Amino acid sequence: MSILALTFAAPLILFSLIVLPLIWWLLRLTPPRPRQEVFPPTRILAEVNKSEETPAQSPWWLTLLRLLMAALVIVALAEPIWNAQDSRISGEGPLLIIMDDGWTTGPDWEERQTTARNLLAQARENERPVALALTTLGGKVELATQRVEQVEARLKAATPQPLPVDLTGLAKRLDENTIAFTGIAWLSNGLDQKGAEQLLASLEKMAPQQLQYFTSQLQNLHVISKVTNTPEALSVALERADGQPASSGRVTAYDQKGRSISAVDYSFAADKQTITAQLVLPVELRNEIAKLSIDAQNQAGATQLLDERFRRRRVGLISGSNADQAQPLLSPLYFISRALNPFSEVRESRAANVAEAIPQLIEENVSTLVLADIGTLPGVASEQLEDWVEAGGMLVRFAGPRLAAATDDTLVPVELRRGGRSLGGTLTWGTPQPLASFDEDSPFNGLTVPPDVAVTRQVLAQPGIDLTEKTWASLTDGTPLVTASQRGEGWIVLFHVTANASWSNLPLSGAFVDMLRRIVAVSNGAIAADKTRSSTASAPDGSPTITADADQITLPPLRMVDGFGTLTAPGPTMQPLLLGGSTAPEVTIETPPGTYGTSDAFVALNLFEGPANLKQLPTDLLPADTIRSRFSTEEGTALKPWLLAAALLLLALDCLAVLWMAGALRRRVMPAAAAAVSLVVFALHPPPVQAQTSNFNFEDTLRTRLAYVQTGDDQLDRISKRGLIGLTNFISSRTSLEPAEPVGVDINTDELAFYPLLYWPVSTLGPPPDAKAMARVDAFMKKGGSVLFDTRDQLTGGFGNRRISAETQRLREILSSLDIPPLEPVPDNHVLTRAFYLLNVFPGRYLEGKLWVETSQEDEGESAERPTRQGDGVSSIMITSNDMAGAWAVEADGSPSLPVVPANPTQRIYAYRTGVNIVMYTLTGNYKSDQVHIPALLERLGQ
Amino acid sequence: MALNIGSVAPSESGSGVLGRARERAALIPDLLIEAQRIANTVTSGWHGRRRRGSGDTFWQFRPYQLGESLTRIDWRRSARDDHVYVRDQEWEAAHTVWIWADNSPSMLFKSTTAQVSKQSRALVLALAMTEVLAKSGERVGWPGVTNALSSRVAAERIAAELMVAKIDEDLAFPSTQNIRNRSELIIISDFLEPIDTTLTRLNAAAEQGIHGSLVHIVDPAEENFPYSGRTEFEDPESGQKLTYGRAETLAQGYATLFQARRETLAQHCKRLGWNYIVHHTDSLASTALVALHTRLSGEAMA
Repeated sequence: MSILALTFAAPLILFSLIVLPLIWWLLRLTPPRPRQEVFPPTRILAEVNKSEETPAQSPWWLTLLRLLMAALVIVALAEPIWNAQDSRISGEGPLLIIMDDGWTTGPDWEERQTTARNLLAQARENERPVALALTTLGGKVELATQRVEQVEARLKAATPQPLPVDLTGLAKRLDENTIAFTGIAWLSNGLDQKGAEQLLASLEKMAPQQLQYFTSQLQNLHVISKVTNTPEALSVALERADGQPASSGRVTAYDQKGRSISAVDYSFAADKQTITAQLVLPVELRNEIAKLSIDAQNQAGATQLLDERFRRRRVGLISGSNADQAQPLLSPLYFISRALNPFSEVRESRAANVAEAIPQLIEENVSTLVLADIGTLPGVASEQLEDWVEAGGMLVRFAGPRLAAATDDTLVPVELRRGGRSLGGTLTWGTPQPLASFDEDSPFNGLTVPPDVAVTRQVLAQPGIDLTEKTWASLTDGTPLVTASQRGEGWIVLFHVTANASWSNLPLSGAFVDMLRRIVAVSNGAIAADKTRSSTASAPDGSPTITADADQITLPPLRMVDGFGTLTAPGPTMQPLLLGGSTAPEVTIETPPGTYGTSDAFVALNLFEGPANLKQLPTDLLPADTIRSRFSTEEGTALKPWLLAAALLLLALDCLAVLWMAGALRRRVMPAAAAAVSLVVFALHPPPVQAQTSNFNFEDTLRTRLAYVQTGDDQLDRISKRGLIGLTNFISSRTSLEPAEPVGVDINTDELAFYPLLYWPVSTLGPPPDAKAMARVDAFMKKGGSVLFDTRDQLTGGFGNRRISAETQRLREILSSLDIPPLEPVPDNHVLTRAFYLLNVFPGRYLEGKLWVETSQEDEGESAERPTRQGDGVSSIMITSNDMAGAWAVEADGSPSLPVVPANPTQRIYAYRTGVNIVMYTLTGNYKSDQVHIPALLERLGQ
Repeated sequence: MALNIGSVAPSESGSGVLGRARERAALIPDLLIEAQRIANTVTSGWHGRRRRGSGDTFWQFRPYQLGESLTRIDWRRSARDDHVYVRDQEWEAAHTVWIWADNSPSMLFKSTTAQVSKQSRALVLALAMTEVLAKSGERVGWPGVTNALSSRVAAERIAAELMVAKIDEDLAFPSTQNIRNRSELIIISDFLEPIDTTLTRLNAAAEQGIHGSLVHIVDPAEENFPYSGRTEFEDPESGQKLTYGRAETLAQGYATLFQARRETLAQHCKRLGWNYIVHHTDSLASTALVALHTRLSGEAMA
């Protein structure tokens, strides 16, 4: 049974869907069990809501969820299959399966084989003989029918080939064929390949009862059609079939060892067939690239192998005279660099001095050095140059007046006659000579000889035995134009003319560019090509020209690109590549794409070396009664596991919902979840500066208020707050000062400048304040603020005693980062004893502890040395151990929070008085002590 | 389900509680009951009342006033100048304090957020208070269990009596018939009886001339109502069961009612001049003890 693309293997089970209403009815009747809680104030609860609500049924969504779960399980048991393979090839008689196994088939090879296997299975059922034609075999294809088992074995052995498909051979074979195939299945790649029309024509001619045409998806088939090494970047031409929607991909570059070097993303606009991706890399890195491939393509067309031809060579230029700079467009270097630039990297030396320029350029790792008309080389430079050439460098020299005048020049390929000759002048008898055609031995072999090139002046070589061998190009009269000789590993090449147009018009011609390119190519391949030859040809003949036996070069397969675009070892059927013939090597079944040669020197053969021209096969070409299908995946998609998984998911949801309804989730999970969420939020948003979150309000600064330091100990902070509230109330009722409500400050963030007095209960909880916070406190104290430290440990030790309690220890830690002046217990005549009340003790909850203040200043001279100044004569630090806030603290109803020790109500009053005195002292400073002098002042004024 | 918030803890009494009570009591300074509330009792205590009266300790010299007994004149002092002085002693007197903790089944409730059950906390508070008061020389008693005891070891004796005494568990309020005029009564309970009943009893006690302090023990779950979802609530005293589909919807109304009850109680106590302290079982027992102590010491700010 099948509905649309959905097929049920056991459709009868679907009838059990009719029990769903029953399940619905049952579910509605069973409410979730309540949680049972003992709760003493149930009586109060009854007053809240007299009507006890008991939902007799589950909420509708829970029922729906469960029904859905049941339905899913039933449907899953019916074993639905999505997109089940149903393409049957019917009829009797021989069946022909034409299977494309060209380069495009890598990505969908599995589907292709599955489809073919399905077809074979059907053929076996109907006992049809089958012929399998693989398209890459071309004309060699065997059309005789075989038994299904044999064909299956062949099918299993078949792999995608990294080859272009030529269908003409197959079409021809079909025409010659005598078997009357009643059914034909063409597993095509969907591209308009060579010979497709012939094939279709012959198929039509055969007129089978049934023709089935399978195509693959083409929209993600991208190929690299060409790679060019431009001066700026390695440009990768990408191509795909026409009429495809927009798509994108990524080209990755790998080095010789398969490590990825770089990657570039590209994207095709809709209907666009070709684009170019640029790999912008330094030249050194670019030269490392051995392979470019498009990610996730799995086919040979998406891979391009690079060899020496794609390397950009670095060429160094040195000119003989700086006079060249005066007329830059006539300078020899200008011509050379223009000619070299497209395919190599040109370096010109900035040093005017040749002796400096040569080592500098050699340092820069140039592979070719061009010397334009340099006569005598300085001795050191000459030696360096010679060493470099011996080591494999390519030295290209151009003649000129200086070279012609030079003597004892060793760095020339042939011995030169002094002076040179000129042709076609008034005093010469010869006419300007054109170029002769290039020798077969010459690396210039194959270049077209420009007919209009004429040489009017040149330097001449001394005739010698080996002159012809050393000649790469000559004039029609036989005099050499370009000579070369090998020195060690390297070469010396001499152009017998100048690099500018003064001696010949060769530099103006296109041949000049080609010749230079060949020379540079020789330079890079100089060693490599030599090695190639010595490893392939049995007897190197020692000829100075490297392409002497070019026709004979056969390169063994090195690494092959297989049908999936990966590099593999060469197979047994592969043949060596023949190079140097008149035709460029082609990709065939014997010589598939890959590298040929040795690992040091190889030539890359690619599937595409130019535009690939991928086109879809026009579907109107197919015979009218063709059945078109797509490749089938394995057996369709069985939906059973997915449906069961969905049912399980719903079950989990159901459990969660039940838990939630029972209220368990809220209590147990939510705090954890909230913590997790808050953690995430906290991680995503950097914690806001605490000053923003602290309730600091500028309006608060308009009134005087007491402040305490928040220690992080909630109990302690609360006592501090209640204590300062109690003190504030006391001060408001007894003095003319009416402070506003006290605040807790965070010494790390809050601005302290607005508070005259900071009450700091010392707590051992948490870490001591850091250096930054202490710097703020230090600034606060130096600017005139006072801090009242309270160790609250009179019972266990007390400040200033021998015994060190934990709080005192902590206070020492805090104060260790402050500059504290000498301290003393409040002396009898201190202002603190008379700032408002007359006091001789300063109790808090405890009585015995002393109040310590800065030692009173005796004389002015001492003050300069004091790090913490007594701002306005007020001690910036006061230390007590009496737990003053504990004595001041009152609850909202006016009752004290903590008892005093000993339980003496008067002590509490004295504690408040102490507080008043301290506040008055910090606010008025030495005002009271000044009052002592009032009679004396009045007396003076009276005078 | 194991996720229940509330549970019924086993009833506690005896030496374990006494030990914990001792710990608490050790933290509290000697308790002094405010003198103005002291009845005209002749029983001597050990602690001075900071005012003149009958006692052994010298308090002050004051000028002799006409009509006073001549025997009270301190001749040694009077001989120093022209005035006649009377030597006053500091008044040292003891006070009777009755302490009673609720023992009804609702007190056995303990939620997961609380440290102990309400009953346990109430007993600890009661015995700790007993210890403190006994140390101060006060007479302490447990209505319905003991008479007022004047003993340093009153706490032990009360604890022992409590262990053997058959306490009527349904008793939601101490019987005040043995309590004499002007005594102090400390009631530690969760006050879950209907509020009108409680108020009537408080009035009756106040009319007897008793000065009282109520310590209202509250489990955090009773105040915050952390219940949600479908829940069946059971009253441990009456066995009443209520089922709600969405308990969280009740939270608001419940909190309002609960606070209103507490407020009513607090207002009533204020009117009677009694002390009223709320104590949560998730905080330390000593906080309640300190609060009770400061209230009894009469240190409320003028």
